[in-house]
Amino acid sequence: MQVKTLHKNTFFSLKRLMLAGVGAVALSASANAGTVRVTVAEYSAKTGPYFEQVAKDFEAANPGIDIQFEVVPWDNLLQKLTTDISANANADLSIIGTRWLVDFVEQGIAEPLDSYLTPEIKGRFIETFLTPSVMNGKTYGLPIAASARAMYYNKDLLAKAGLSEPPKTWAELEDYAKKISAQGNGVYGFGLQGKEVETDVYFYYGMWSFGGDIVKDGKSGLDSKAAIDAASLYKRLIDQGATQPGVTSYAREDVQNLFKQGKIGMMITAPFLANQIRDEAPNLQYGVAPIPKGPGGDQGTYGVTDSVIMFQNSKNKAEAFKFLDFLFQPKQRIKFTVDEGFLPVTKAEAEDKYFTENANLKVFTSLLPTARFAPVIAGWEEIADTTSSALQRIYLGQGQIEPTLKEAAEKANAILKK
Amino acid sequence: MASTRVIAPYVLVLPSFVLAALIVIWPVNELAQLASHSVNRFGQIRDFVGMANFAALLDDPNFIASLWRTGIWTIGVVGGAIICSVPVALVLNEDFYGRDLARVIVMLPWAVSLTMTAIVWRWALSGESGMLNSALLELGVIDQNIQWLAEASTAFPMQILIGILVTIPFTVTIILGGLSSIPDDLYEAAALEGAGRWEQFRHITLPLIAPFLNIALVLNTIYVFNSFPIIWAMTQGGPANSTDILVTYLYKVGFRLGKLGEASAVSLVMFGILLVFTLIYVRLTTAKGAKI
Repeated sequence: MQVKTLHKNTFFSLKRLMLAGVGAVALSASANAGTVRVTVAEYSAKTGPYFEQVAKDFEAANPGIDIQFEVVPWDNLLQKLTTDISANANADLSIIGTRWLVDFVEQGIAEPLDSYLTPEIKGRFIETFLTPSVMNGKTYGLPIAASARAMYYNKDLLAKAGLSEPPKTWAELEDYAKKISAQGNGVYGFGLQGKEVETDVYFYYGMWSFGGDIVKDGKSGLDSKAAIDAASLYKRLIDQGATQPGVTSYAREDVQNLFKQGKIGMMITAPFLANQIRDEAPNLQYGVAPIPKGPGGDQGTYGVTDSVIMFQNSKNKAEAFKFLDFLFQPKQRIKFTVDEGFLPVTKAEAEDKYFTENANLKVFTSLLPTARFAPVIAGWEEIADTTSSALQRIYLGQGQIEPTLKEAAEKANAILKK
Repeated sequence: MASTRVIAPYVLVLPSFVLAALIVIWPVNELAQLASHSVNRFGQIRDFVGMANFAALLDDPNFIASLWRTGIWTIGVVGGAIICSVPVALVLNEDFYGRDLARVIVMLPWAVSLTMTAIVWRWALSGESGMLNSALLELGVIDQNIQWLAEASTAFPMQILIGILVTIPFTVTIILGGLSSIPDDLYEAAALEGAGRWEQFRHITLPLIAPFLNIALVLNTIYVFNSFPIIWAMTQGGPANSTDILVTYLYKVGFRLGKLGEASAVSLVMFGILLVFTLIYVRLTTAKGAKI
């Protein structure tokens, strides 16, 4: 018995090693005609049931077409798509982060949708959100989820520090954050994210306000004066105890949790935090304000969209697009956007009462004209990773601000040149 | 007649060889293909590039750092687990009231998935609302919160400790197997000759469980070397790659940065290192296998 278990363990460890490198062995099961397979990201617990219902409704209206969903946690989505595509076992449609689209287009994996898109369907979308899915004049994806960022502030904590209004500039924010932290008792002024995905984005809020750009004329903006100013500001906030301590152990969700617990005065994040507060901390008195302005009056929020793409190797393109047409009708759209706490991507949604009468959501939509999207460049993930690492070193005090940013900019420039 | 005798062993070995080829040789071959070509992020092979992917690894300070850290991680976890497991196994081998319950408790961590354990610890180690800080503050050990996961200097030792914790059950099982095979009369005879508890342990127990310790050492090494969930769930190898081991580095390079060629090269390096350990294991089991 003993021997048997021992051998079994070696066997497993070897197999695990292999699989780690190669990815899943081809599981390709060729889909039947009339079956449309769709890979979707699991945004919340409501995502799976929502798509099940959509499939049921669609199948009832379109007998003969069978919709199969694969619901994948967001963190594993890119990995799943990578392994599926390399094994030629991908679905017909998939949700992707729009910032990945450039790779999918360059490698000929995404199918242009222009031959299917009627002017009526195209006209349903809000321009700002459709543009990121357009490359080389062709539309490769339809935005399914959109989000922007704004500043949440805890009204009680501000009032206790003698402040009545949220800060309008970063200089005010620094001052307010110190005053809120001065209350002590485990309360901190500004929630700063320093870990995992979007650590770099949390820094761009400041950098954009100081007039910087992520990439300008094909060069990284990380060594610009704006970037250095923003990094100095963030570092100052950390050193003065105006942020929560140990920022490099806080992912976005961790900072949001502190905010929900009423321990953080201000933080910048997406509309969905409002839904979480509604469900988990209904008594929290909070407001939503625009991201503060820099000394030159610059301001910028981060816009993010996820898109549905059609795979070039799909055998059921007509059926697949029929489903897309169904998915982007107002009834389906409004339920999805309300459930998940996103921003409307179609005009019909935006006109719905839920959005027109919601003061917090209005702040987000009012920021959209200044929204910036992740630059559409191959190797973007690597630049983001380099930037996050550099910022973590600065936050930890393991690197001087200027040289660390300069080094990161050089790395980013090398990636940009490829 | 003579010829069947020559062929028979090979025929009998053939099924397991085919199985091994399917699960080992074929993937390694695929890996070698990927590692020696330029590969796009979807695993589609482009031009042959020879050793360029390996050269890129050697140029990456994070790879070298991860390699060293993997050594510290493996030695720390495996060594720590064995040192802690021997006394635990000795106690559990004694006959006492409630031993079955004690055995179940020691084995419990084995039943919980590694990822779950790691996530629970991530909460426990949280700086502002973690249980560990609350407990230490309450006991007066510290007077302000420690940000356990903010820096490698506190995060990595904690990860090794958790690694030890989850490796103990398996190790204890192996050692218990060894202890139960030692006949009691050896101890009785030694006691008659005047040997104390320590001398009995030193001259009877330890030599007789040595083969089992070897097995535990090799198997744990292979397993811990490859262990992904603890580090990934707690720090994702951060901040600034300072807690990356090879397997988390591999995951980042492959699936986050989309460099599947380089990732395959890392896999091959890891395979090479593990192959050595596997060979040691095979030697140990064939040389002393009769005793197990």
